[in-house]
Amino acid sequence: MTAAIDSILPAGMSPRTRDGRGHRLILVREQDAQHSGSGCCGRLGERHTMLGRAADFSHSRAWMEHVGEIYRRLRIAHPALAIDIVDPRNTLWLYPAVWRCSAGAGQGLGWRLRQFVRAGSAAGAILDGEVLHVGQLPSARAVVDEIGLRLDLRDRDAIPGEHDR
Amino acid sequence: MPAFYLIVITLGAFYLGYRFYSKYLAERVYALDPNFRTPAHELADGVDFVPTNKHILLGHHFTAVAGAAPIVGPAIAVYWGWLPAIAWVILGTVFGAGVHDFGAIVTSARNRGQNIGTLSGKVISARASTLFLLIIFFLLTLVNAVFGVVMAILFQAHPGSVIPAVIVIPIAMCIGQWVYRMRGAVLIPSIIGLVLLYVAIPVGQMFPIRIDGLAEMVGLSVRTTWVILIFAYTWVASRLPVWLLLQPRDYINGQQLLVALVVIFAGVIVGWDQITAPAVNPVAADTKQWFPYLFITIACGAISGFHSLVASGTTSKQIDKETDARYIGYGGAMGEGSLALAAILACTAGLGSAADWQTAYASFGAASGGALGNFVTGVGHFLSNLGIQAQLGASFAVVVVVTFAGTTMDTGVRLQRYILEEIAELAGFRALVGRTTLLTTLAVLVPLALALVPGGEGAGGKGFAFGQLWTLFGTTNQLTAGLALSVVSVWVLARNRSPIAAIVPLVFLLFMTSWALVLNLLEFLREGSWMLLVMDGAIAILTAWLIVEAVTALNRQRRGSAGAT
Repeated sequence: MTAAIDSILPAGMSPRTRDGRGHRLILVREQDAQHSGSGCCGRLGERHTMLGRAADFSHSRAWMEHVGEIYRRLRIAHPALAIDIVDPRNTLWLYPAVWRCSAGAGQGLGWRLRQFVRAGSAAGAILDGEVLHVGQLPSARAVVDEIGLRLDLRDRDAIPGEHDR
Repeated sequence: MPAFYLIVITLGAFYLGYRFYSKYLAERVYALDPNFRTPAHELADGVDFVPTNKHILLGHHFTAVAGAAPIVGPAIAVYWGWLPAIAWVILGTVFGAGVHDFGAIVTSARNRGQNIGTLSGKVISARASTLFLLIIFFLLTLVNAVFGVVMAILFQAHPGSVIPAVIVIPIAMCIGQWVYRMRGAVLIPSIIGLVLLYVAIPVGQMFPIRIDGLAEMVGLSVRTTWVILIFAYTWVASRLPVWLLLQPRDYINGQQLLVALVVIFAGVIVGWDQITAPAVNPVAADTKQWFPYLFITIACGAISGFHSLVASGTTSKQIDKETDARYIGYGGAMGEGSLALAAILACTAGLGSAADWQTAYASFGAASGGALGNFVTGVGHFLSNLGIQAQLGASFAVVVVVTFAGTTMDTGVRLQRYILEEIAELAGFRALVGRTTLLTTLAVLVPLALALVPGGEGAGGKGFAFGQLWTLFGTTNQLTAGLALSVVSVWVLARNRSPIAAIVPLVFLLFMTSWALVLNLLEFLREGSWMLLVMDGAIAILTAWLIVEAVTALNRQRRGSAGAT
């Protein structure tokens, strides 16, 4: 199944947002490992480091697996969609990326600021700079359906004259 | 010389290292293939294996490898002058850490994302996994001991920093409740947390916390009392679920790291401070010499074995293209080197006149015991260049170091608990298995005993053998790097490539480590420091074991390669 997912990864013709860029989904979830502060003297994250066995990060693991399922389904349903999975603690990448993506949505500054502020959470989904979910994600099927619907709407909206037909 | 020149020289050297040496490594040593299907693609599951943008991954990797150790080591090592310290940071980063971190990612990625512990068992020998476990055991013991002392020294010297350092705990807990229970967005709470923390800095100055009365009541020195209080805190903190304190503290630590780096470099540039430390400090013949001690005093910041755990643990599972390993591995090493540079700047250009510097670094004991204090003073001075009162700036630096050190101890005790359990199980000592309270107590008591061990060139002669513990810590960290470099060397050789780029730092590290261990052994014997002697002897045995394993594995691989051609 993983090979099947991978084989469809390279996108063909990608749908476009208003500013002509491809659609981009950012899935936010915490890695089941320590992120900072200890670094070169130890790091918790047992399954990754072979140190320890206790499920310290089982809560993050549950979200990782849920996001993983969404990712796999989306890869099949929307192979051309660019998807990034990012840890909310990676603030240097996450917030500038959301700010840049939201620029293509054609919305005002207030809207963009709201998306920016809501971008980081333990689990979330951000499509073309618009925060769809904060802190919780519905079932994988619901997320995939919702994103499919939004992509359809946006692509229709992005093609001049589409609404008139 | 203006300190700014040191920034230019170091970052320039890093740039050249990245531009040319990492290119050589990528093409000639690791032979990266942009079409290689990385584990992120081959095993793509969206959970552990996810093809990830290299900029995202660099952010994850760098924040995961950065900690307090690249501050402490350089802050001690400038005792021998700024030139040896910065030269080792540059050369270690370019020819050591870059090779090590980059190589660990590539080797792991070529082995379906297996971590370095598993790989050492597979590539070197089955015994190497046990060796890995034992090295980590000693490393964690020393980490917990040194950081316990680091925090105690800072709290005693800067009582105004106690309140802000302690207030991080409830702030992190509130963020934890908000993020994990209320499932809210984290940006505003983490900014509020950071602002509250910085507001607490002047409050701490107004209400400094001194525990002289308590120390007198229990009949111990102030520093010993602080050490015991800190270990008591660690015992409790390491029993809490990670989402309550450790994990939300990541949101504060990450911002702190960035703020600290920015203000230090900005302060140096704005203030145009001069380096007042000598290029080479001629030290007395009967004290520790830079050769070989420099190379184990600065481990993190030049080369650190623990990076291989991050590189092979999560990073290798997520690289999109094999060629991204250069940017992430080598780039992450340069980030850590920059942190070491910041510490060197603070301790060579931020302490005032040359005479002030000589007073602060009068002996190795003063240098090691006062290292963090010197860093804090230096950062305070740089912040004063930006219009912030030096005392408040110093408190800011203490809070940065203490939050990192506290997180390190929390992590270290947890990890030590797991490793003790694993060792007990391996040794057939079932009574310890599953006994969390007992295991935590043991994981706290052993480093506590080490932290309180008297003798040696202690912290300003106060009876703490901090400098000795630090060099032992550096030794074990370099051993972990040695193990990872052995794995990388054998793997490179197996691909019929010249492993010389990995073997040179490997041999260098093992030689310096062994030499320093022997010198320490003789010193502990002479001083009658039996506890340190046992520790040093055990690490020396592990070093000899590692050398035997590495040589055997390389020979086996060399014969295999020769037979195949």
